[in-house]
Amino acid sequence: MNIAIIKYGMGNATSVQKTLKKLGYLSVITEDHKEIEQSDFIILPGVGSFAAGMENLHKSGLANLLTREVVFKKKPFMGICLGMQLLATYGNEPYKCLGLGWIDGEVIKIESSQNLRIPHLGWDNVEVTENNSNFYKEFDNLDYYFIHSYHFLVKNQKDVVLKVTYDISMVAAIQKDNIYAMQFHPEKSQDAGMKLLKKIIDQYA
Amino acid sequence: MLKCRIIPVLTFSGLALVKTKKFAKNPRMVGNAVQAAKVFNARNVDELVFLDIYASDQKRKINLQMVRSIINECFMPVAIGGGIDTIEDIHDLLAIGADKVVIKNKFIENPEFIIDAADTFGSQCIVLAIDAIKIEDDYYLYNRINKKIPLLDFLKNISSASFGEIILTSVNNDGMMNGFDIELVQLVEKIVNVPIVVSGGAGNPEHFKELFSRTNIEAVGAASIFYFTRYTPYDLKLAISSVERPVRIVKKEFIPNN
Repeated sequence: MNIAIIKYGMGNATSVQKTLKKLGYLSVITEDHKEIEQSDFIILPGVGSFAAGMENLHKSGLANLLTREVVFKKKPFMGICLGMQLLATYGNEPYKCLGLGWIDGEVIKIESSQNLRIPHLGWDNVEVTENNSNFYKEFDNLDYYFIHSYHFLVKNQKDVVLKVTYDISMVAAIQKDNIYAMQFHPEKSQDAGMKLLKKIIDQYA
Repeated sequence: MLKCRIIPVLTFSGLALVKTKKFAKNPRMVGNAVQAAKVFNARNVDELVFLDIYASDQKRKINLQMVRSIINECFMPVAIGGGIDTIEDIHDLLAIGADKVVIKNKFIENPEFIIDAADTFGSQCIVLAIDAIKIEDDYYLYNRINKKIPLLDFLKNISSASFGEIILTSVNNDGMMNGFDIELVQLVEKIVNVPIVVSGGAGNPEHFKELFSRTNIEAVGAASIFYFTRYTPYDLKLAISSVERPVRIVKKEFIPNN
């Protein structure tokens, strides 16, 4: 199976590839349209600001290509951290702008009424929701590594499969058909992360 | 609930892992960096910090090849610092898989730099190292340009700068293994709104109980305690947990293929 990790100038592609290798999957870090079209699974990693991420995806024509591959051709897809947030209708970092629009909702700054420290940084336990809980229940209450100052307000609660509480309840992971995405970094979450990556990717192997 | 993090801080001299006392320039050699990273990964520590502590002084760049070997051993987040002088330096570290970069001297010399860095890479991956030295009853910012900067002035000036975390080290307690400077932590945690990693002074589990019961800190850095005592990160987590603060205890159950 060929996994394409999208290269668009936004961070942690190397870490994702390293963890996939540990799990025994081959992957390429690529921005080449042909290579992405020929892949069996697409991963959009990312660290940085929403607006810069979208700009880079548009500049290289990747935004249209990804929408064609994932939304229309239903190729399995995983977004990580910024790679999850970019699926939203709108983002606000640092100014309001359009996202890929695959998942209805908006990415907004985390506001804590109890003056909790921002970013939400460190290991935090996730909670399963009622959506596809058979698949996700083994991950209930496991700790994953988060680092984010913005969070995804998802419009349709049925798209949300894992949540995390940091003063407010936030989206930790999304699934909509062939689209999987997480706010935390599974590639940096040691065993708990590898277990989740393996379970998702193995469905398509 | 967000867990309290235990973070080994590996300090590197350019040749080997070393451990200083009070930041003195005659550190003790304590081993091999890649080997240490491997051990801490196996122990499932929450994060790792690696600092080349003499890179700036010796005006050299960090050894990217070695940093890459360290990162390759780590399946948890890694922060790297030492000799960062340009935006390209940060880019190079992030490109080989560093999750965060630690900046100190460059920020003291040119505070604008951190704004550029945060605009380019996002403030979350920028960690500011603050080394505090107590002289008589006052705290100052320890720095190599020998400027006398009161710590409180410095902290107020940086409140608007963009960074995602600070590592707060007590120079007086560094390597002394006599406990954390609680007064310093209480002073800083009121002013700084980003996550704080407290370091300097860890010597036994009681020190961790004291820190986590008397402050609202969520992360702690330590080194000597891992080199010179029998305590492991797990022992320290049990200590933190005993004062009713949450920690991440890992059950080994998942074995990857490779």
